[in-house]
Amino acid sequence: MLEIGPIFRALMRNKVGAVLIAIQIAITMTIIVNSVFMIVERNEKMQRQSGLDEANTFHISSVGFGEGFNPRSTVEADLAQLRALPGVVDAIQINALPISGGGWSMGLQTEPGAEHDGTGVAVYMVDEHGINALDVEVIAGENFAPSDIRWRASRSPTWPNKVILTKAMVEKLFPDSPWADAVGKTVYINDNDPMIISGIIDKLQAPWVGWDNVENAMLSPERMEFTATRYLIRTQPGQRDRLMPEVEEMLASSNKQRVIRGMRTVEEDRERSYRGDSAMIKILTTVMVILTIVTALGIVGLASFSVNRRRKQIGTRRALGASQGAILRYFMLENFLISSVGVVLGAGLTIGLNILLVNTFEMNPMNWYYIPIGMLVLWLVGQVAVYGPARRAAGIAPATATRTV
Amino acid sequence: MLVMNDIKKVFRTDLVETHALRDFNLQVDEGDFVAVTGPSGSGKTTFLNIAGLLETFEGGQYLLDGQDVSQLNDKARSQLRNEKIGFIFQSFNLIPDLDLFDNVDVPLRYRGFNAAERKRRIESALEMVGLANRMKHLPAQLSGGQQQRVAIARALAGEPRFLLADEPTGNLDTKMAHSVMELLKEINQAGTTIVMVTHDPSLARDAKRNIYVRDGKVSELHSVGQELPDAANA
Ligand SMILES: Nc1ncnc2c1ncn2[C@@H]1O[C@H](COP(=O)(O)OP(=O)(O)O)[C@@H](O)[C@H]1O
Ligand SMILES: [Mg+2]
Repeated sequence: MLEIGPIFRALMRNKVGAVLIAIQIAITMTIIVNSVFMIVERNEKMQRQSGLDEANTFHISSVGFGEGFNPRSTVEADLAQLRALPGVVDAIQINALPISGGGWSMGLQTEPGAEHDGTGVAVYMVDEHGINALDVEVIAGENFAPSDIRWRASRSPTWPNKVILTKAMVEKLFPDSPWADAVGKTVYINDNDPMIISGIIDKLQAPWVGWDNVENAMLSPERMEFTATRYLIRTQPGQRDRLMPEVEEMLASSNKQRVIRGMRTVEEDRERSYRGDSAMIKILTTVMVILTIVTALGIVGLASFSVNRRRKQIGTRRALGASQGAILRYFMLENFLISSVGVVLGAGLTIGLNILLVNTFEMNPMNWYYIPIGMLVLWLVGQVAVYGPARRAAGIAPATATRTV
Repeated sequence: MLVMNDIKKVFRTDLVETHALRDFNLQVDEGDFVAVTGPSGSGKTTFLNIAGLLETFEGGQYLLDGQDVSQLNDKARSQLRNEKIGFIFQSFNLIPDLDLFDNVDVPLRYRGFNAAERKRRIESALEMVGLANRMKHLPAQLSGGQQQRVAIARALAGEPRFLLADEPTGNLDTKMAHSVMELLKEINQAGTTIVMVTHDPSLARDAKRNIYVRDGKVSELHSVGQELPDAANA
């Protein structure tokens, strides 16, 4: 037999504690639900793939010095050595690395002329081994041929006449036609320099994980005649850690006119790039756990207090025919009513805080289903917290009615 | 009918064993009005608690309306309490946060009556004790005598066969005590069996039958009109 009416009326005559707990539940729900939403969003962001064979890829920098340093022959010799190394799947010279935090971006446009806006794109300069070393797939058109690859001089303003784009980039440039039709079309870089799309790759992220256009990337068929350059090395599964010191040692000793430095795995790059996000997740999780515990303890405290205060009343109810189950239900139901006020208030506050965050921090609006799930969770927290005190209430002897004054 | 044969009740703590009832024998017939007297600590409340299924006992046999209650679980005992027994307490035991209507409603809800039936019973019970016009009042707004009347209404709203009262007038002045006693007599006349613990011999004399408890035993039985032993005033 549910006794919502009398429980509610009794609560209304004694509301201070109940109202405080309801407010606490509402605030906890507001913070927890918004935190969970942020955590899920960050987590989704962190789960995005770069396109690389992340577990088996690392990179290393080479900085030449001295009059006699020859960038071209150094790169050629280094690549030949690296590619011949047992355990290496492929190796390339590259100007920047996905999800590493630093790189080049340009604008591409479908019409020539400075009056048109370009679409931002991350530039990766690679030779015909780029596809294999970056572990990307050509899903339309074709890879560069060795003859497509040119040498880029330092500070050169010109661009090759071919380009490979990610599917995401193609879809941004040509939103109105099927992406595969873009092969053979011309895009313009530096306002007016034409590049023909020779291939489309499935996926490759830009160096900047927080960039809105993080999926926009292009491969430009060139090697760089720079004194400072970088190599990306993809190894066979499980070989990376063995090969890293080996590669470092090999490059250092093969050419004394340069310094080898900055060797890092892509996994480290990922960790560095998402460090802020993982810190945020940790902080939010901690706050959530602490808040939940504090709220649960508050519920336990209020319920214990009210059980002790009502010992005689409980004994009297038992004398009047309440079973132990009925007493247990009474306190569970009372908590449910308090929680209900709390979670309804909490639903409003949760939406309010989300709107505030959306407006001030350009966060996404929360999916509606977070609200009912949050309500359910806090109801559950309340019921679990009140169960102990309610059990103790149910254990109060009926004779308490006659034995206490 | 309420029959107790050789009931034993022992309270054990780490240090002491208290034999609250030893070979307690009593038969209360349908329609009776029994006043129980005896010195403080003699076992009167213990007897009433056992009779009302608030406490269990160690030995002997207790038949409530012919039913042996010793093997019943909590749920069955609670249900029996709810249906057959009405309780009145010395300090009234009204629930302070509930108005009179909701107070009388408490046992009726455990009984599972529907809302209309409960309302009818609450109104007629409060009518009977003369407080129907104060249904929305809280207990604290009433005098002691009025509170005890509400408690009586609560005890009777479910139409129990037995009314058990532990010093129902103990917290009332003489005038109020007698008016409560008058009410109990009316209720008894209407057919409810009453067992009342009291330390007031003048009230006990008004009952149909007196029993005297000492050291956990029914030591003497008196018919109405006989003098009580001095110890009854202890
Ligand atoms: N819960 C208890 N624990 C220990 N001893 C108790 C308890 N309840 C009652 N007693 C003891 O049992 C005896 C009978 O008590 P009670 O039935 O309350 O007496 P009365 O109502 O006649 O004053 C007393 O000695 C009392 O101290
Ligand atoms: Mg007593």
